[in-house]
Amino acid sequence: MEDVMTAIRVVPLDHYLILCFLLFSIGMAGAMLRRNILIVIMCLELMLNSVNLLLVAFSAYHGDAGGQVMVFFIMLVAAAEVTVGLAILVQLKRNTEGVDINQLNRLKW
Amino acid sequence: MSALILISVLAVLVLYLGLYNKKSWLAPLGILGLAGAIVLFATGWHIPHHLLAGMLEFDRFSIGFSIGMAAITLLIFLFGPDYYTRMQQHVAEQYALMLFSLVGGFLLSSYTNMLMLFLGIEILSIPLYVLAGAKKNSLRSTEASLKYFLLGSFATAFLLMGIALLYGLAGSFDLGVISAHIAGAGSSDLVLNFALFFVVTGLAFKVGAVPFHFWVPDVYQGAPTLVTTFMATVVKMAAFAGFYRFIDITGMPDALARIMVLLVLATLLVGNVAALRQTNFKRLMAYSSVAHSGFLLLALLTDTGPGSTVGATLLYYTFTYSLATAGLFVLFTIAKRANNGAEHNGIFQGLFAAKPWLALCGLAMFLSLAGIPLTAGFIAKYQVFLLAIGAGWLKVMGFGVLMALLGIYYYIMVARELFVPAEHPTTFVVTPLNGLVISACAIGVLLLGLWPALMAW
Repeated sequence: MEDVMTAIRVVPLDHYLILCFLLFSIGMAGAMLRRNILIVIMCLELMLNSVNLLLVAFSAYHGDAGGQVMVFFIMLVAAAEVTVGLAILVQLKRNTEGVDINQLNRLKW
Repeated sequence: MSALILISVLAVLVLYLGLYNKKSWLAPLGILGLAGAIVLFATGWHIPHHLLAGMLEFDRFSIGFSIGMAAITLLIFLFGPDYYTRMQQHVAEQYALMLFSLVGGFLLSSYTNMLMLFLGIEILSIPLYVLAGAKKNSLRSTEASLKYFLLGSFATAFLLMGIALLYGLAGSFDLGVISAHIAGAGSSDLVLNFALFFVVTGLAFKVGAVPFHFWVPDVYQGAPTLVTTFMATVVKMAAFAGFYRFIDITGMPDALARIMVLLVLATLLVGNVAALRQTNFKRLMAYSSVAHSGFLLLALLTDTGPGSTVGATLLYYTFTYSLATAGLFVLFTIAKRANNGAEHNGIFQGLFAAKPWLALCGLAMFLSLAGIPLTAGFIAKYQVFLLAIGAGWLKVMGFGVLMALLGIYYYIMVARELFVPAEHPTTFVVTPLNGLVISACAIGVLLLGLWPALMAW
């Protein structure tokens, strides 16, 4: 375990921060711009995983296990969330025959 | 702790009853369990206690909020048997999911650790994504559910980013440690400001503050009415309890205050102005919910740290708002059935001629939402404005008063429909239990308006 910690600490913390912000931004842009709901859900996962990476990096630098415990919780909750999301998507497919986000236009103003 | 366990076990029990098709037992069992949870919470009133290695703290604020949320859920469950009369399958899941969601609300009102904030929000939200899509064959319901899910997950990602950055700065998820770090850091710490911005964005999504309110009207309209009632009342209380605990412990750094002022002004303006042009009652209530979020955020803005009376004001405001909203949605369901499923504001026509008592109850609840004196809504808004003056936010308060006056207009417009004679004959069918729920909500709103001391601690 100690080896892993040292290995993580080889890369400076700033680099982790920049990488995670980049991943987060890519996920955010994808979630807002893509029209296919499956890809939107994938982008949401990307955002959550960038946070996970950041937490692991911080955890190694602080020498505190709390961050890694949080990562487990995030993975667990993200799995539960995506299960519900995909179920809703299947329901939408049954009702509309498609997974395009532009079909979601019945409710407006 | 015992109340948390009771509600979680109760939800599983309700699910099991569903397996045996005991539909008529579901609501009574739920109501019994909720009443038990309220009693258990009330016994802990004088002894603040910590749970789960200090990650939860049940002080008077969280116990007050928990009792309030359980009481409103109880009222919704009283309405449940009538709402689900025609539904034969999967009724147990509806009750169970609402109970699971309620547990998330308890966590949100009592967390002292960011991990519990995250878990609380997720336990609150995930059952709601399912509940919003409960009408499986209705495209509107599915659409509402999917929109809620996508935007909710998006907000969660923001919240998590904020939590991760705060953890990086302070080295702990504990709110006490984080608050000590914030007090030590200067207001020009860029990463800290980013972190606070992310967390507040995530929370603002959940309370439906502008510019993160886009899901509110769509989801309120598309979801089944009972679920909408739950979202507008219990979920709102939980989200604000969570928001308050975060602000109260971290204090209000200048950078955060600047964001909050913008949120308050935008929410008050958009909520009230957009409500003016709504013809669908559920969308009207959605924008009314956004507008009330604006007043509640104004109360949060004045929070300068532990020991203020903001918590008591928030509890009073959200609870009385929830009472009025829950009663009006029950009334709306009765009127909707009488008009073959129409949802426009005109469906209330002829109610006074047919059921004068219910129309008067409805009037009391509308007046409370509008904030007319002698109702609880007035006292609630008055307390918020008083707090704003005390904290020196005079201009923001002035804007709030202006928007409250604007709000009176659209509530009175709908309340007027109650007394207009119906164009074509309509028969309103009211079961005794529904009448009881509406009367309880209206009487509660009036009583709390006349004696606000009933809820002081």
